[in-house]
Amino acid sequence: MKHLMRTFALPLLVLAAGPALAHNPMCECEELPGAQVKCTGGFSDGSGAPGVTLDVIGYDEQVLVGGKLGDDSTLTFKRPDGEFYVLFDAGPGHVVEVDYADIAQP
Amino acid sequence: MSQVQAVPASPLKQRWLKWRFHLNILLILIPLGFMPKYFADARLFRGEAGLGANVINDIQVGPYTLDLAEMRDEPPRADGPAGHFKVFNASLCKACVNGVKAAYLRIGKPRSLRAAGTIFFGAPYNMGTSLPIPPRTKPDAQVWITLEGWDGSMHQASVPLAKASPATVAWLEKQGGKK
Repeated sequence: MKHLMRTFALPLLVLAAGPALAHNPMCECEELPGAQVKCTGGFSDGSGAPGVTLDVIGYDEQVLVGGKLGDDSTLTFKRPDGEFYVLFDAGPGHVVEVDYADIAQP
Repeated sequence: MSQVQAVPASPLKQRWLKWRFHLNILLILIPLGFMPKYFADARLFRGEAGLGANVINDIQVGPYTLDLAEMRDEPPRADGPAGHFKVFNASLCKACVNGVKAAYLRIGKPRSLRAAGTIFFGAPYNMGTSLPIPPRTKPDAQVWITLEGWDGSMHQASVPLAKASPATVAWLEKQGGKK
């Protein structure tokens, strides 16, 4: 037992010291059939973002759709007419903007 | 009478027994080779080596001034599906420290204070942030600095990306605006 512990002590310690992960916010949107848009939010360390604010804002700064991401970190809404952008807002300075031109049409 | 016989050790075992002590010395020497990089990094992170590369001094943002620099003179780094990021450092002027509540950085003019970009964190004299670089950024893009004051005021200024980070512009041109 003691021998086993000695053998594995170093590898275990190396594994336990997890690398310092950045967690940059990210948001991806795709268009679904029926003029619906589905946006998925999250962080680059792999964690989801349930409950985070996601607003759809027109180019005139009017909030068209205000919502929060569901338990699966997604929000589906009807695609507004005209020019807009999606703002994934996880707090000041932790935002992602997705322009309507970047939302792929099916 | 005991019949203990020395087991003839294999040549490999013999070499191991002979050289393992010297191998230990080698294991001590290997980290020494990484020392210069370690100390250079420590100096950079503590701010003793200055703010970073391509420092732009005294950028006037409303009533305040600040210095901006990229952490390292290198192209943006990938962070998985979140895209590419570039670390910038900034330092507020001594007189500004009490007036400024938050500093933001963004490529292109922010649409609103809410979408002012990525926020600087850390001590006011040596703040850092990682700026997302959209793949379709034009090489002549501007980096916008937004300062939010405790009095609720908002001040903005911009510097050319080509001046703030030539390596990023070179990287964008190599990409050719694709993707």
